[in-house]
Amino acid sequence: MTLFTKTDCRLCDQLKKKFDLGTMGVKVEVLDGNDAGALAHLAWHGLVEAARKSLPLLVLDDSSSVIEYAHIERHLVDRARKKGGGYRPRAAGAAPVCEGGSCSL
Amino acid sequence: MGVVMPLAEKRTSTAASLGRGDSTDLALFVRSSQDDITGWDRQRIVEALLRETLIDRDTAERISIEIEETISSGKVKTVTGPLIREMVNAKLLEMGLEEARRRHTRLGVPLYDVDQLLVQHNKENANVPHGPEATNLTLAEGIKKEYALLHVFSPEVADAHLSGDIHLHDLGFIDRPYCSGQSLEYIKKFGLNLPHALSMAAPAKHPEVLLAHMIKFAAALQSHFAGAIGWDAVNLFYAPYLEELDDRGVKQLAQMLIFEFSQQAVARGGQAIFSDINIYWEVPKHFEDVPAIGPGGKYTGKTYAEYEKQAQRFAWALFEVYKKGDAAGRPFFFPKPLVHITEKFFRTEGHMEFLEHICEVAAEKGNTYFVFDRGETAKISECCRLSFKLEASDFEDAKEPWRMRYSALQNVTINLPRLAYQAKGDDTRLFSLLTRKIELAVKAHEEKKKFIEKLMSLGESGPLSMLAMKLDGQTYLRLHRCSYLVGMVGLNELVKVHFGQELHESDEAMKLGLKVIAHMNIICHKLSEATGMKLVLEQTPAESTAYRFAKLDMTHYGDQAQEVVQGNPERGEIYYTNSTLYHVGARMNPIQRVEREGLFHPLIEAGSITHIWLGEARPDKKALAGFIINVFRHTQNDQMAFSPEFTSCLDCGRTSRGLQEECPYCHSAHVDGITRITGYFTKISSWNKGKLGELHERYRNDNQFAGAR
Repeated sequence: MTLFTKTDCRLCDQLKKKFDLGTMGVKVEVLDGNDAGALAHLAWHGLVEAARKSLPLLVLDDSSSVIEYAHIERHLVDRARKKGGGYRPRAAGAAPVCEGGSCSL
Repeated sequence: MGVVMPLAEKRTSTAASLGRGDSTDLALFVRSSQDDITGWDRQRIVEALLRETLIDRDTAERISIEIEETISSGKVKTVTGPLIREMVNAKLLEMGLEEARRRHTRLGVPLYDVDQLLVQHNKENANVPHGPEATNLTLAEGIKKEYALLHVFSPEVADAHLSGDIHLHDLGFIDRPYCSGQSLEYIKKFGLNLPHALSMAAPAKHPEVLLAHMIKFAAALQSHFAGAIGWDAVNLFYAPYLEELDDRGVKQLAQMLIFEFSQQAVARGGQAIFSDINIYWEVPKHFEDVPAIGPGGKYTGKTYAEYEKQAQRFAWALFEVYKKGDAAGRPFFFPKPLVHITEKFFRTEGHMEFLEHICEVAAEKGNTYFVFDRGETAKISECCRLSFKLEASDFEDAKEPWRMRYSALQNVTINLPRLAYQAKGDDTRLFSLLTRKIELAVKAHEEKKKFIEKLMSLGESGPLSMLAMKLDGQTYLRLHRCSYLVGMVGLNELVKVHFGQELHESDEAMKLGLKVIAHMNIICHKLSEATGMKLVLEQTPAESTAYRFAKLDMTHYGDQAQEVVQGNPERGEIYYTNSTLYHVGARMNPIQRVEREGLFHPLIEAGSITHIWLGEARPDKKALAGFIINVFRHTQNDQMAFSPEFTSCLDCGRTSRGLQEECPYCHSAHVDGITRITGYFTKISSWNKGKLGELHERYRNDNQFAGAR
């Protein structure tokens, strides 16, 4: 499982804070404009255009992808339950939104 | 000398101070290149040296005296200006004045070369016919190329081009931008009103006149741009002129448009205009609410959304003409029709019938280009695959569509296989070399930009007066909005050298290819920010570059290159695989090729394409339509085209399917093949050796469309 993120992406940060992704076996790729490997990995999954619209993106082990934040969160919760690893549930309320519009490639 | 020597007034020579007498009475005649035979005047050497170089007068005088002595001792009665210049240059070299020699260089062509050029077909560009205009083009291009490499580009950039590290495209058109995409609205609103034209035409009142204006404007543009002339949403912008026409009239107009563009042998070197027409079945969202301009350049009171049916009538008629082909049943080479497949396309009534209609043309004649605009994206496409993606400012311009005009100023291509030869398997070195070559390409762009800016600054009295015209308040060429293309050739061979497999042979090979292109994308973005220039990747069509790079690498990197160069070295038909394409001979089904090649496309922001070589196959239109829908829905592919092959009999004039040794009708062996080279259809007899090598290795997808998912 790979989570594609960006350094100044608020929604990406939320997920990183909420989940212990390393323990969960989720690889984090950072699309910071310096890492050709990460961008190539994104392209391999056919997700460059999707990332231009929104980040984060989650690629599952079967290579299918999950795009919306709430769906990604749900998949990660399931993963945390199965694989163990830290998980800090979100306080009740509205799902976080991308402020500043930087949640895209 | 010959080129620069007006009859000089006699003057007292400073040679006297050097202890020599004035020698202008030498009984010698000089054939100047100003159509004149003049008497010998040593001072002309001095004047030319002082005017063109930075050497001091005494040195110039000394050189002129030594040249005079050499000539007079030879008992020559008539010398030529070019000979004198060569002698002066040799003297400058002897004296170690290399920079002065460079500045004093004469650009020209050896007599032998001209002799050859006049009778032999130049196949650098298959679109150039063989004839006197083509010869003029080749000669002019030769001189402008030399000028560009000596005078526009720095020695570092020029040497990189000459050695084959990079390729500077269209050097023979150094004083023009590369490609242009525009809107019919410009001539609908302003008429045909070009600087220095012999007459001015008001906005067209009739569809035939609009067509005439379009063709003439395209011809004028072609003489100001090196590459393609593209037109956006042609069927939509014609629509307000079609209300009075019945279906027969619309068909007639469609026929006129296609024949006029395909038969205008007026562009560079007697070529047809390299023309592209973008076509939409739906009214694109960004034009829906735009007030329509109609006959006489006046607003019709309707928006373009209200012209959907008229636009569709014209689009349908255009493809009826393409389906029939020319009088001999051959496919039209130009204008290339590019149909945009969008989300809205599938919501527009009649789209399936139209899709099958254009797929039938694709199967029969191959003309249709399918351009995929997914989500909210939109673009204007042209050339072999170049596209300009519309940004926020472009959507703002779309409210006044005559403002929509796009240009790429230049294309610089990087020889990727050579980087792999030099890297010798070291990843860090490979990417470092790649970065360095992109930086060099950007330097080349900066140098060309500076040169074009200089020409544009001369305004309407300068050589680019047409591009400097300001009918809508801005210069026609909006330099600040230009793109600068960075292309690539031979990704497939780079991967083979560096990793040991071609792109189609393993996922790991493909991932390395993606990393190379991702790196190019990232570096272009960084350098765009640093320079303020819009640097974007484009899949280079590489009609001659793929051949040139392969030839140069066989010379300079022979041991390594011979392992990966494609084609037939014994016949000299060698080439590298174009851009990021899979090898043409890779045996794979079409959907696999479209999917896999399409993974590169989002990283290549100025245009990519996948070609499906049909050979003799003629897929069913419904199967092709299903294929196109799948490509749109399930791949990242940017554009695609199907390429059938034809044999044209030069004796009986009939056209048959496939590439045949002889005409199946009259059995004449006097035949020529027709199929697509890089992006456009043309006669195979005009192809260069590299492309012939590629043609022989193409894997034809025969009847593989039923299985498309």
